[in-house]
Amino acid sequence: MSSCCTPPAFEPPSAPPPAGALKTVVLVGPPNSGKSTLFNRLTGLRQKVANYPGVTVEQRMGLMAGVGREDLTLIDLPGVYSLTPYSEDARVAIDVLRGKMPGTPKPDAVLLVLDSQHLTRQLMLAAPVLAVGLPTLVLLNMSDLMESRGGRVDTLKLARELGAPVAQISAVHGTGLDAVPLFLNGQANRESAKPLALPVLGNAASTHTWAAQVSRRTGYQAPLSVEGTRKIDNILLHRIWGPLLFLFVVVGVFEVVFSIGQPLSDGFGYILAHIGEFARPFLPAGWLQSLLLDGAWKGISSVLVFLPQILLLFLFIGILEDSGYLARAALIADRVMRTIGLNGKAFIPLLSAYACAIPAIMATRTIENRRDRLATIFVTPFMTCSARLPVYMLLIAAFVPNIVYLHGFLGLRTIVMLSLYLAGFVGAMTTAFLLKSSILKSSETPFILELPQYRMPTLRSLALRLMDRASVFLRQAGTVILCVTMALWVLAHLPVIHLESGSWAAPELASSLIGRLGHFIEPAIAPLGFNWKIGIGLLSSVLAREVMVSTMGTLYGADPDTQALNLQTALHHDMTLGGALALMIFFAFAMQCTSTMAVVRRETNSWRWPALQFLYMLALAYSAAFVVNHIVMALS
Amino acid sequence: MRARRPECPEIEVCGLEPNGRILNYDHSGRIFRVLPFRRPSGVRQLSVLSDLRVGESAVLVALDLPDSVQNHLMHMGFVPDALVTALRRAPAGDPTVYLIDGMEIALRHETAEAIRVRAIAPGSEAAAGDCEDEDISELAEAAR
Repeated sequence: MSSCCTPPAFEPPSAPPPAGALKTVVLVGPPNSGKSTLFNRLTGLRQKVANYPGVTVEQRMGLMAGVGREDLTLIDLPGVYSLTPYSEDARVAIDVLRGKMPGTPKPDAVLLVLDSQHLTRQLMLAAPVLAVGLPTLVLLNMSDLMESRGGRVDTLKLARELGAPVAQISAVHGTGLDAVPLFLNGQANRESAKPLALPVLGNAASTHTWAAQVSRRTGYQAPLSVEGTRKIDNILLHRIWGPLLFLFVVVGVFEVVFSIGQPLSDGFGYILAHIGEFARPFLPAGWLQSLLLDGAWKGISSVLVFLPQILLLFLFIGILEDSGYLARAALIADRVMRTIGLNGKAFIPLLSAYACAIPAIMATRTIENRRDRLATIFVTPFMTCSARLPVYMLLIAAFVPNIVYLHGFLGLRTIVMLSLYLAGFVGAMTTAFLLKSSILKSSETPFILELPQYRMPTLRSLALRLMDRASVFLRQAGTVILCVTMALWVLAHLPVIHLESGSWAAPELASSLIGRLGHFIEPAIAPLGFNWKIGIGLLSSVLAREVMVSTMGTLYGADPDTQALNLQTALHHDMTLGGALALMIFFAFAMQCTSTMAVVRRETNSWRWPALQFLYMLALAYSAAFVVNHIVMALS
Repeated sequence: MRARRPECPEIEVCGLEPNGRILNYDHSGRIFRVLPFRRPSGVRQLSVLSDLRVGESAVLVALDLPDSVQNHLMHMGFVPDALVTALRRAPAGDPTVYLIDGMEIALRHETAEAIRVRAIAPGSEAAAGDCEDEDISELAEAAR
């Protein structure tokens, strides 16, 4: 059904890939045309796919292993409507395509992906892309959907019109993809595509006229529009049900993460603890065993325990993103965002930031106004990212009683958790309002948002997403957390004491190096209700929030008083309810993530923003924790 | 010019655009408000996109927006002679979702206000069912 329609297409696919002629291939297409799904197909790489415009906010590279061409690099670009840059992500795409992006190789061939369901409009991009002059293969994506709904196009005629081979594909089902290697093998032998008489460019109206003519001449018949999406929107964008359902979804997600995730995490923790005990006899007793098991393993496993819950949260956010609901959320939120001086588009990165601030900050590139974008970047770390989850979970499980209301639908723990999420959200909104009414004031930019059709999230894409997240989490545990816990263990066991009997022993935890450092900073954090161990935890958590939990695991593991207890009970040992709540609020507001700061530095091109962000959030976190601790103390 | 000059008691000057929009000027001569024109008979005349009620359709005439925004919108399908339908309003009442060229695109009121439209000529486009509105077809006839 799919075919490649110019002479080189008839070469056998087994033709040996000529070396050197072709190196870099670039994927171009309008937003939501399925480029990222195709990228995953062609490379077999993990790449975030979501059903809202502007998911690919940075060019991504991968080797084309999916079609047996590991020698070729494929670059996936952010979706663009035209080659006139409108926002930052479009500028990236255009620079890469023209070979003007420093650090990115100049592309040798182009795969132009168009959504065949809206071909007339999508062809408007074909003219400027073909005019760049690189060998181009036009891929009409989602052709299965088009044909099943009565759409039609003559690919042969279209290829003649465009002067470039055209193939019908379905990236989701992986059909028609053999056209890609056919095209690439063919291209290597050809000199360069001869330039074709294309319309005079620069004017959107003339490009549109040309696109309309081409689609008419090629017998393009648009498929019947689907009523399904509109019917769903009748409910999801309903005046009353829409916002209510939105709240219901958000509350439901966290309730499920808590009620289903907790037993999963407990089970996983049980397994991890047993792995440690299983390994114990195999290690020589002494300092090495203590370093590896009581230091490193205890620290790492105290964080790893939360993997099931984090994956569950990512699964839900993944479903929301892939289905196309996020764009609707932006539409619902536009009114609220407008009162604080931003627009609904800023809401999409903020929602993604519930998973992680780093992709969210990169997703702000879709915001056209630079000042709006800076304000959004500034407030993104306030959103409760998954790295805070371990800290919250640990403290809530340790200090908040498990009381259930509403026949089990809502628990007190969920309420506390939601309040923390709300605190972060309110912090973000208030800060954005302050910024937009002072240093980042600007005139309003128009809010233009495409609402994609709802799609069923594919298992494949969700699985890839979870695997990606799990590997990031494990890598973090294997590098940053491992190093921090080992260093902490060493610091907790120095200086060694020379015993009378001639042997060496570790000092009391309080008189170890880490204990002395902790006691040194204790006066600064004592008003918040934190002891010196928490202080060490806070220092280490500047690297990444979840390090806090592993630090606690290592420190309490090194202390003979609490060694035998699990972390929750150990925390009860020297922390009050006020201190625990203050600690949670501190985590809700503080900027404790060096990776986020590095991304902010890169996106804003100066250290000023991350520095300001860090200090502002620290001041806010400190004062909020102070207030909470004192209120709880006064009440009890 | 088929429209009568409207009364503007509190405003110094009233201008009328060829497409029927009233431009009001304050003392400094700056345009501060653009109102959709209503004929004395009470028949609504479509002049900008934001006039469309949910379910109504119109034909796009031109965009009065800054170049970059205009270009962006045109690449999203907002080109002259395109058929636009107002699909729904967001729950809060503001951004409105428009159907154009099979795509759903949300615009705020102030953006839609800068997009000029005209009523669909009767019989030319049967695509949008609700546009055989009596008022509109009557108007279109008057336009001829």
